[in-house]
Amino acid sequence: MKIDPSFIWTALVQLLSAIPTTLVITAVSVTAGFVIGLITALLRIYKVPVLGQIATGYVTFIRGTPMLTHLLLIYFGLPMLLDALSAQFGWGFKSSSIPMIGFAFISFSITAGAYMAEVIRSGLLAVNRGQLEAAYSVGMTTPQALRRIVFPQALAVSLPNLSNSVIGMLHGSTLAFTVSVVEINAKAQIVASTNWKFFEAYLAAAVIFWGLTLLIERITAVIEKRINLYNRGGVA
Amino acid sequence: MIKLTHISKSFGRHQVLKQIDLTVEKGEVVVILGPSGSGKTTLLRCVNYLEKPSDGEIAIGDYRLSCKHASKKDIHQLRQKSAMVFQQYNLFKHKTALENVMEGLVVVKKLPKEEAKTRSIALLEKVGLGSKLDAYPSQLSGGQQQRVGIARALALEPEVILFDEPTSALDPELVGEVLAVIRKIAKEGITMIVVTHEMGFARDVANHVVFMDGGVIVEEGPPAELFNHPKEERTKQFLKRITPELNYSI
Ligand SMILES: Nc1ncnc2c1ncn2[C@@H]1O[C@H](COP(=O)(O)OP(=O)(O)OP(=O)(O)O)[C@@H](O)[C@H]1O
Ligand SMILES: [Mg+2]
Repeated sequence: MKIDPSFIWTALVQLLSAIPTTLVITAVSVTAGFVIGLITALLRIYKVPVLGQIATGYVTFIRGTPMLTHLLLIYFGLPMLLDALSAQFGWGFKSSSIPMIGFAFISFSITAGAYMAEVIRSGLLAVNRGQLEAAYSVGMTTPQALRRIVFPQALAVSLPNLSNSVIGMLHGSTLAFTVSVVEINAKAQIVASTNWKFFEAYLAAAVIFWGLTLLIERITAVIEKRINLYNRGGVA
Repeated sequence: MIKLTHISKSFGRHQVLKQIDLTVEKGEVVVILGPSGSGKTTLLRCVNYLEKPSDGEIAIGDYRLSCKHASKKDIHQLRQKSAMVFQQYNLFKHKTALENVMEGLVVVKKLPKEEAKTRSIALLEKVGLGSKLDAYPSQLSGGQQQRVGIARALALEPEVILFDEPTSALDPELVGEVLAVIRKIAKEGITMIVVTHEMGFARDVANHVVFMDGGVIVEEGPPAELFNHPKEERTKQFLKRITPELNYSI
């Protein structure tokens, strides 16, 4: 068996068409995950009764189980739940009308939410309490203080870890192929299935993922430079 | 006028403030002295409601609040009557000197940006930082940061400004510039409560000196009286310890 370098290129070109799917899955899971993570982190930090405990349970369960398991649980569990509810309340809704990618969106958002909750929580905890007190002392309400003073600083602190989460979700999006979503990895398999040149196809996929990862790192570096302007003279 | 009535505060079972009563007239500068752990910081923080008093009543201007039944809205109202200058400055790290001063004006007082900016620049000039408008806190010396802190407090035009050891985190050579600014605004008739260990400052600037120990006000009076003729044993001992050259007869 010999490597066919030209097929790497052929595969690469064909894989390009799957990039949008991968990016959409990543973008949706990261965006929804950020919102879920922020809410979860706040519930835990403020020790909100009941909801705070639920948030903690959610984080430990999700982080304690594989991302593939989340996807499978959602894929098999959600339709059962929805169909049961639908029958109960006569919604006339069938779970089979959910597109496959929808399961990936939902499950990966849940995964990302738990990981990002921890990142955001540690970012929030890293902001000196004096900052919040200063905000109160100038008369801000808690939401104003969080939005204007605490969040921007927490975001700056969390940026490297958030970037890691984004990269993690990008790579994790390959799992979507188990529910028949054709993202980059699944596309590589399809491309190679005609001539069995799997190595070349997956190598091409690797190159694309690497490129996308470098891109995310570049973007992070640019944002970091901009928002960390105020930290000049800090340790970093 | 500020009137604290029976302010108490406990942390767990440790009662830090025991039924403090204190009245501060408009335009007065009150200096609070006392040994470490006597509750000075806690008292100031209670006035700004950064610490919730366990009991008592706080009246600032025409606003009165009974601490036991304070709602979120009441607290928010009360906080706007006072401003705090912190020992560790606590400037908003991600904002420039100018933005630090503007923040409260724009977000809380809802002033138009331009007006807030003009006012903030004037205040920063007043504290001698007209050339540092765009500097971030990390680019300023401790003394400069504290002067921004003072400008930020002044901007809100509160009924009272609370200073918690405003110079004790500073290098000795920077203390003077900050005290000079505080003296200047004291002369303008701004009501202030100042916790400090700067005895010279207390003597010159205070209208009224309060000595606290163990969560109670042990003695209070005009500075000349309290420094030269302290009545209470504990006051004498404290003054003797921090200003040995004055030689109080105990
Ligand atoms: N958040 C807190 N939790 C528990 N105890 C506290 C807390 N804050 C203050 N205390 C206690 O309350 C007492 C008074 O503290 P406070 O900071 O008011 O003293 P202080 O007079 O300002 O002292 P210093 O001169 O050292 O600043 C101390 O015994 C301190 O340990
Ligand atoms: Mg103190």
